[in-house]
Amino acid sequence: MLNAIDKKLLKAVADLEDIPKGAFNIRKNGKLLSRKVSANIEIESDKDRDGIIVRVAPGTVNESVHIPVILSQAGLHDMVYNTFIIGENADVTIIAGCGIHCGGKESEGHSGIHEFQIGFKASVRYVEKHVSMGSGKGERTLNPTTKVFMAAESHAEMELTQLGGVDHAKRVNEAHLEAGSSLLMTERVMTDGVQLATSNNKFVLAGPGSKANMISRSVVKGNSRQELYMELEARAKSFGHIECEAIIMDNGVNITTPVLKALHPDAEMTHEASIGKIADDQLIKLMSLGITYDEAVNIIIQGFLS
Amino acid sequence: MLELNDIRYEVSDPENNNDLYPIIKGINFRFDTGKFYAITGPNGSGKTTLAKLIMGIIPVSGGNIILDGVSIEGMSVTERAQAGIAYAFQHPARFKGVTFRDIMKIASGNKDESELVKTISSCGICSCDFLDKPVDSKLSGGEIKKIELASVMARIPKLAIYDEPDTGIDLWTIAPMVVRLKREQEQHGTTTLVISHNKAFLEAADVLLLIRDGKIVYSGDFDGARLLLEDLSACNYKNECEGENDAECYR
Repeated sequence: MLNAIDKKLLKAVADLEDIPKGAFNIRKNGKLLSRKVSANIEIESDKDRDGIIVRVAPGTVNESVHIPVILSQAGLHDMVYNTFIIGENADVTIIAGCGIHCGGKESEGHSGIHEFQIGFKASVRYVEKHVSMGSGKGERTLNPTTKVFMAAESHAEMELTQLGGVDHAKRVNEAHLEAGSSLLMTERVMTDGVQLATSNNKFVLAGPGSKANMISRSVVKGNSRQELYMELEARAKSFGHIECEAIIMDNGVNITTPVLKALHPDAEMTHEASIGKIADDQLIKLMSLGITYDEAVNIIIQGFLS
Repeated sequence: MLELNDIRYEVSDPENNNDLYPIIKGINFRFDTGKFYAITGPNGSGKTTLAKLIMGIIPVSGGNIILDGVSIEGMSVTERAQAGIAYAFQHPARFKGVTFRDIMKIASGNKDESELVKTISSCGICSCDFLDKPVDSKLSGGEIKKIELASVMARIPKLAIYDEPDTGIDLWTIAPMVVRLKREQEQHGTTTLVISHNKAFLEAADVLLLIRDGKIVYSGDFDGARLLLEDLSACNYKNECEGENDAECYR
């Protein structure tokens, strides 16, 4: 059964009002709460470690899997290993995410290690949201790791979002791309107060014709700090692009390190990175439409992180 | 409806011991309700600075700005917008992720979408094509100027300031744009200030203001300004320059 806090967390991390349709696996406070499989999507508990294995049958199209994790138990630090095996020519959406509700002084945390094996010509859209809520003073920690192996001509779009309330986040993203595969990863992070978020990313363009695009949008408020390391390594005739943009507000700190490694003479690699405050011309334009400075800031930040 | 009383704007000059350098040198003028004004003058004469002083984007160094009997020089940009002034920027801001629909909703105060579509279409923009597009660097110069125009019209302001609305606009769109601004003036009684070098706007104006070196040197009809305009179009440095023999410019 889902209580009111569970429902609020599920709505925030997975846009779910209630138990989802299609395949799902809901984990609450370190234990399986509810699971449903479909004809083409099988979910089983990992026998060797805490976590699940999701198998999508070859050729499965227009299906989705929800695998949210919710935490509301003080003092719990949950660690889970999830593996996704996507069959050839499948086309699926996977909605993951972790919501923490902290009501007391004790810390709470979740470390999710997600491994994707995306089959030949398969296509995956992966959406992961991290949020934390509740009025407790306990520290909230989220340490997600995403490892992606992309077979030839597969395609993946990954949206990774953390929009507030998380005190410590240590993210690791790794990808290996075979011939003709393509990966678009967009990471959006907003920190405030004295929060710290680090993100280490390494994608290897191993096969000819592979393409990777890493996009990062950061908003650093209060005295928070974000450290972003993005590395693209091309081992074949391939294309890679890194785009990092950060808006600093108040006294936030942002350290962005884009790294391009061309280990093949025909590799094409580009990067653009910028860090700065909100542009005055954007603020003045919106204020000239009759809204206040604070309202203008909100609209600009919402757009930037959308 | 708008009075400028001895408006001055000075900036410190770092090349000269940070001495104050005047940009606007005491402008006095009264704009009447519902009239169409064109402001022209050489580059660097102070046209955009004057417009920004009226909108509150930069603060006056001295003088008063009176809107409908109320002194507004201490008001913020937001307060002046709420008081009925709207401003179309010469170089409109570009955003990331903020859509044309977002801008129009703010501008119109969340008006019904069908109303917005009417305004948008009348500015030469296809609402189907543009409403959900981000107002970002992918838009062409002409597209963003039309969006800027629509965002000002959606406010139905008392006083609309358009800073070089024809920049980046194709030649065959300028005449319809003049007609559009005149219609807005007539339908809503909008007092309209257009900064432009384009003859189409200067001829359409009820009153033409010529600004030179931070001062209004002429106000009146277009015909009366012809000689002055021809004189100004020659060169800013006519008096100082030694003329054809020494000129390295392209005139």
